[in-house]
Amino acid sequence: MSLLDRKLLRDLIALKSQALAVALVMACGLAMMVTTRSLILSLDSTRDAYYSEHRFTDIFARLKRAPHAVHEQLAAIPGVAAVQTGIAVQVTLDVPGLPEPAVGLINSLPERGEPVLNRPYVRAGRLPLGRTTRGEIAVGEAFAEAHGLKPGGSISAILNGTKQAFRLSGIVLSPEFVFEAPPGAALPDNKTYGVFWMPYKELATAFQLYGAFNNVAITLAPGASEGEVIAAVNRVLAPYGARGAYGRSNHPSHRRVDDEIRVLQGLSVAFPLVFLSVAAFMTNSVMSRQIALQREQIAMLKACGFSNRQVGAHYFKFSFAIVIVGVLFGAIGGIYLGHRLVEMYHLFFRFPQLDFVLDARVLVSASAVSALAAFAGVAGAVHRAVRLPPAEAMRPEAPASFRPALLERIGGGRWFSASFRMALRNIERRPIRSGLTCLALALATGILIVPNSFRDGIAYVIDFQWDIVQRQTVTLTLVEPGPARAIADFRHLPGVELAEPFRYVPIELRAGPISRRLTLQGLPERGTLSRVIDAEPRQLTLPARGIVISSKLADILQVRPGDEVIAKVLEGHERELAVPVVGLAEDFAGMAAYMELHALNRLLLEGDRISGAHLVVNASRWSDFLHAVKNTPRAAGCVIKNSIRDGFRKTTGESIGLLQKMYMMFAIIVAFGIIYNSARISLSERARELATLRVLGFSRGEVGAVLVGELVLLTVVALPLGLVIGSGFAQGILSSVNTETVRLPLVLTADNYAFAILVVAVASALSAWFAARKLADINLVSALKALD
Amino acid sequence: MPAAANLTFASSSRPDGANREPVFHVRGLARVYGEGTAAVTALRGVDFDFFRGELVVLLGASGSGKSTLLNQLGGLDSPTNGTLLYRGWNLGTADEPGLTQFRRDAVGFVFQAYNLIPSLTARENVALITEICRDPMTPEEALELVDLGPRLDHFPAQLSGGEQQRVAIARAIAKRPAVLLCDEPTGALDVHTGITVLEAIERINRDLGTLAVIITHNAILADMADRVFTLSDGRIVNARTNPQRGSVRDLAW
Repeated sequence: MSLLDRKLLRDLIALKSQALAVALVMACGLAMMVTTRSLILSLDSTRDAYYSEHRFTDIFARLKRAPHAVHEQLAAIPGVAAVQTGIAVQVTLDVPGLPEPAVGLINSLPERGEPVLNRPYVRAGRLPLGRTTRGEIAVGEAFAEAHGLKPGGSISAILNGTKQAFRLSGIVLSPEFVFEAPPGAALPDNKTYGVFWMPYKELATAFQLYGAFNNVAITLAPGASEGEVIAAVNRVLAPYGARGAYGRSNHPSHRRVDDEIRVLQGLSVAFPLVFLSVAAFMTNSVMSRQIALQREQIAMLKACGFSNRQVGAHYFKFSFAIVIVGVLFGAIGGIYLGHRLVEMYHLFFRFPQLDFVLDARVLVSASAVSALAAFAGVAGAVHRAVRLPPAEAMRPEAPASFRPALLERIGGGRWFSASFRMALRNIERRPIRSGLTCLALALATGILIVPNSFRDGIAYVIDFQWDIVQRQTVTLTLVEPGPARAIADFRHLPGVELAEPFRYVPIELRAGPISRRLTLQGLPERGTLSRVIDAEPRQLTLPARGIVISSKLADILQVRPGDEVIAKVLEGHERELAVPVVGLAEDFAGMAAYMELHALNRLLLEGDRISGAHLVVNASRWSDFLHAVKNTPRAAGCVIKNSIRDGFRKTTGESIGLLQKMYMMFAIIVAFGIIYNSARISLSERARELATLRVLGFSRGEVGAVLVGELVLLTVVALPLGLVIGSGFAQGILSSVNTETVRLPLVLTADNYAFAILVVAVASALSAWFAARKLADINLVSALKALD
Repeated sequence: MPAAANLTFASSSRPDGANREPVFHVRGLARVYGEGTAAVTALRGVDFDFFRGELVVLLGASGSGKSTLLNQLGGLDSPTNGTLLYRGWNLGTADEPGLTQFRRDAVGFVFQAYNLIPSLTARENVALITEICRDPMTPEEALELVDLGPRLDHFPAQLSGGEQQRVAIARAIAKRPAVLLCDEPTGALDVHTGITVLEAIERINRDLGTLAVIITHNAILADMADRVFTLSDGRIVNARTNPQRGSVRDLAW
């Protein structure tokens, strides 16, 4: 080790707490970058490998019923490489230990051999394969875990009106159900929704579909056009009650993973850059101070024959040492948080194996960015230092010149105390540094706003969705749409106090070239249970003509109330109709469209039919009600509002809660780091001044006040600025989370602001206190010494 | 509340000579820095009494112990051994808040390097001190005493060395201290400017009855003192009383 490097090491040790503060802020930015980029890589690569290994298909279609012969027609379509047809049906489940009925989506397994496309991955047990297998079913892992189901256990399902018991043959995963949730759901609810697989023959027989299929999966040949194949598939399936084929981009599970990756991409750039800029600024201030303190040493080195380059390199090494520590902490922190977040993703996404894959490239490039930031931060100070002729550098720096601050010049001076004046004038003498410190503090305040705006947004969504929009206790759906008089049967279930019918129909909504597939809900014109609410929030009355769509959908379709959209019905008689958009509703998950129930039925030309009903059930008869529902053959699904809400709370608590904690920790580190560093630098620059004050009879506390006065002033200016910046951050980040499957409203509460202010104030107070404690180390006698 | 904080350190208003209680009573004062083999003895037991209205000059080469002694008298450091009383109050055993209060009320410091706050004007540098002590003069009065009336609103960077040192003296005396401790007050100044500064110190000592202690290695200053102590190797090696104090103007520069 050269002697200059030994000096470097000792200087670093002497400056350890400040160097550490800078390194930690840098580490926060790096950790965030490493975590998010690595998660993107993990999700992306795992998904790709899973898809190709298990032959996830490119095109999907549901229909009512088509004979096996149609399979050949599909396979003959140009551009189709492989076709798999089968059955998928939704059923009501009776799960041991779950009072309410759950919903299951049962998929058929081929009569001969194993599935060729969308091949399930068997986690435990086996698939119930073979023509003679009966009474066996395989269950999706998420549902099995939620209920503690094991191979060999049992479950009951109502198949086309008949309740049947099944033995669980195995626990499986499927590339089709990475996100194991009903279409359109933002979060999984694994207690009440599960995916199953059973032999074709048994399933088809139960639903009188033997010799036919209602579900199609297609793999495209290389180079084939997805659009053309979809159009051809639709033509082939049109006579069989097709609901319109769609590609991967409309596949609910695939899309949900895509959305998650999009969210991560949003988080992986802007936020880390804020942290790295703050770190660059801190490096600059620490190094400028260090170089100012070592002015004479630099002169000596140069006088002894060290070249400008050697001296410059020495100080660059100094800042790179800080970067190395920051990169080290950042990498460790990023890898740790990445692992924690991967665990969190197990709540959402089911892969055979989802491992954290470190994106080493991002670590390298992020380190390079940090090094560059540090370099930029130090270059100016080093340049100034080496440019100085040794003789001049040997002399102490000329005393700083001051002038009255602006506030005093405009006449405010006489009310200010001497220490306040010192603070004002110090700030004004170094406008850029003061401005940057203020900005850094504002950023620290702003960063604190973000995590709590997540929390408040979620709380708002919960209230909005389950108190304002949905006021039923439970929602029952029929196996298939039935006559409106079925509502009377629902009213007669035990404990039912109120019942309102609804009709759900899958449609494709189109405006110009843009289209989306969704469920159109037919509701009473002004229902009391499931209501259509706008952004105000105010209940909307559904008119006899026209459609109300969610504002997100309106954005996507680029339509406004008054415009017309084309609704293509994807069930029963396929029809296309132009309907005017008559209003915009608010919602935060998926995309919704509403019509008045009778208006919808007129449109469908099916007479008065309903898909189910929203019910209010008397709590005292709850178990009777559930028992009755489990034994009602026509009820295909039963959704209990409170369990959905609890599931949502739990899942968001575990996911967003983790993110919130992570961001909170980072924000606190930045706030603390910036303030501590500023106080230390101020202490170092003014040591002599402060020592003089002590000699002149100022108490330690009074000198402390002079020391932190400047910081207090900067903090006071920074706080409101920080609130504005933070609101902008929250807006920006939430808009990156604003996907078609999940959205969060921007909710900024006084509590949130107060918390940010409190944290920065406490961090300021604590770090100022730490720095002020250093005042005790000031050597009073040094003030008496001459400068030379 | 430390006992010392209740004391009034402000100078007595009794006329000179009527009160022969010493301002400083020092016996066997010793200061050792460090321990064991690394121990350095800076003061090896000094004895003296300093009285109100006196002008004392402490002479000595660098390392003689004169700065250490000044630090002890100013409450910046505590002795290892011996008695150090300020008006009967034991300065040697005082705690930190007590020493702070002592410096605030009783002591005016003049430093070789002036040590003005660069961000405050001349007037404000003085006002900084007058804000925190009990019975100060106004900053204007104090600056008038050092002939700086017209340069009240200049910042240190706009003042010459002599002017800065006079601001420092004004700052030291504005509190009407009992003791004025000056550490090489002319060390950084040319002769002409040095004379102006010393005149200011002499005038304060004479007009306000302040005990002034000047440490210097410049033997010429000895002639302006009532008493002169010479230190060497931590001991007082010579003490003399001038029969007649010389005026600053008459010093043999």
